[in-house]
Amino acid sequence: MEMFSEVLELFLSLDNFIAIALGVVIGVVVGSIPGLTATMAVALALPFTFSMQPVAAILLLVGIYKGGMYGGSITAILIRTPGSPASACTLLDGYPMAQQGHAKKALKTALYSSVIADFISNIALIFFAAYLAKIALNFGAPEFFWLICFSLTIIISLASGSMIKGLLAALMGILLSLVGLDEVYGSQRLTFGNYSLMDSISFIPLLIGLFAIPEIIEFYRKKALPHIKAKASGVGMTLAELKRCLKSIIRGSLIGVVIGAIPGTGATAAAFISYSDARRRSPNRDNFGKGEVEGVAAAEAGNNGVAGATLIPLLSLGIPGDVITAIILGAFMVHGLTPGPIMFQENLTLIYALFVGIMFSSLVLLVVGSGAIKYFSLIADIPKSILFPIVLMFCVYGAYAVNNDTFDVWLMLGFGVLGYIFNRAAIPAAPFLIGFILGPMFEDNLRRSLLIGHNDLSIFVRGPITWFFIAITVGSILLAIYRFVSARRQLRRDTTQEAS
Amino acid sequence: MSTSSPRRIRAVRDTGDVLAGCVLMTASAILLFYLVPNYISEPPILQNPMMSPRWLPRIVGGLMLGFSFLLIVQGLLVDNTGKDDGRRIERGTRLRFAMMVVALAVYVVLFEALGAVIAGILATLILFAAHPVRIWWVYSLAFVFPAAVAFIFVKVMNVPLPLMPF
Repeated sequence: MEMFSEVLELFLSLDNFIAIALGVVIGVVVGSIPGLTATMAVALALPFTFSMQPVAAILLLVGIYKGGMYGGSITAILIRTPGSPASACTLLDGYPMAQQGHAKKALKTALYSSVIADFISNIALIFFAAYLAKIALNFGAPEFFWLICFSLTIIISLASGSMIKGLLAALMGILLSLVGLDEVYGSQRLTFGNYSLMDSISFIPLLIGLFAIPEIIEFYRKKALPHIKAKASGVGMTLAELKRCLKSIIRGSLIGVVIGAIPGTGATAAAFISYSDARRRSPNRDNFGKGEVEGVAAAEAGNNGVAGATLIPLLSLGIPGDVITAIILGAFMVHGLTPGPIMFQENLTLIYALFVGIMFSSLVLLVVGSGAIKYFSLIADIPKSILFPIVLMFCVYGAYAVNNDTFDVWLMLGFGVLGYIFNRAAIPAAPFLIGFILGPMFEDNLRRSLLIGHNDLSIFVRGPITWFFIAITVGSILLAIYRFVSARRQLRRDTTQEAS
Repeated sequence: MSTSSPRRIRAVRDTGDVLAGCVLMTASAILLFYLVPNYISEPPILQNPMMSPRWLPRIVGGLMLGFSFLLIVQGLLVDNTGKDDGRRIERGTRLRFAMMVVALAVYVVLFEALGAVIAGILATLILFAAHPVRIWWVYSLAFVFPAAVAFIFVKVMNVPLPLMPF
């Protein structure tokens, strides 16, 4: 009871409500602007949270994440431009619906499915995060070492294209995370005598540089394209249609929860799996791809079912499952908090306050989404030529604000150029960021294990938990190799067929 | 007698991958053989080589070297150029790109000298002109946004920024 009142005391603050509402609004608005992503919005919002209370700061970022997940579907439906890769599946039926004059119905379907899936995902988060954290309390440094090894191998799945490029990106991320003073011996590592680098590379300039600047560079490098007008017309979703889609929504949400809880799998996979499952089971399967309301519902449910579940490994184990949770992990660190099982022991009130806020964010998403549907076409109409100069300004202000040092602005631009080169060379940026975050954790747990075991390597195989993680790490590597080989075989088959 | 085969073997299937692999291979060789020995100092007494500050950078460098070699091999054997992976773009005018570079330079060079507001206004005006934005009232946003955002940072969020040069 005492805990309950403490949680309420921590959560029931005007700042938290404003943070959630503002976060969802920003997320939906940014998500509904073609070319701007939820990742970019979360990265740009991070410097604003410096002076905020930890709960409000995290809720603001979570709000942007959730709003952005839904917002991404708006442009997919209205102008056939998915705001995020996960919304690409919504486009399959959403855009045909918009073309048939049912844009509003598609938007409402996407909203209701997103809210239901988000709610289910949040419940899963509340139930499983605490349970997993309880198990993780038995982990020592060797167990965490193998868990991080497992997470690093899963990075391969974050590489949407080439596995080799994904691994190279992750290695570069790990390497850059090692710049600075060595924590055990205090010796300088690749600082080249620069004082600004001694405290390691700042996370925020890296983040902003990697995810916002390349978009800006690409926009000014590309030929200016004509602006596509969006229109949200037609009637909304009926109760009968909602009832018809409910099974697909719940199934999609559960698919999203399972996929979201596995680090590295992502919302895109969840959306497509949910969509194909709904297509397989639906009596209207022939209408899928031609403007089927159930198709939009299933895709959005899968996509948003991931949102809460990705926070499960983050909060319980301290392992980010995707780019946005990696940024949220950075926000925790900025506020002196380290997510993981220890946080469940030391800051349980804060965690429960976050849970209440996250649940509340689903409701806010419903209200914001319903109220603003008619304005979405106006938002989607804002041209990039006006937006990107303003985004760049946010980038520079945000990077400078970290240490009040122009060096961070240089650093941000450097990472921006690197991100642009990554784009041009089709090297994924997500593994780079995850590598940057997991690198120090990997080294720290390795060294702690060696110290605990008095340099005896048998500590790394000390019990069933370490063996379990070794097995899933090896399994993950073998699976990645199998997928790589079969993708190559498929490519070869396709090439042979084309040639013949 | 020679016959021309329709399935000619090309030496390089994906120039981009080979180039990226070569650059990364050079970078990882420099890291492994020059930067790690010269720019990471090692304590005189080490109980275990795995505890050394050089250990992980060396492993990462070695892996990078290996994987960049594999990337070169991939570029030589597999053609990924047909994939829609964002590598192909239709380029705009050079002036547009150059103006963006100038705007970036304004931020990094003049941010502290002129302050966040004036540097922001200048860079935003340059970027509006670079596109170019043809709606005259939009240019007023270049004055409103830098001032408003700087105000939010400094006064509302208590995040310090150099506001003005005076």
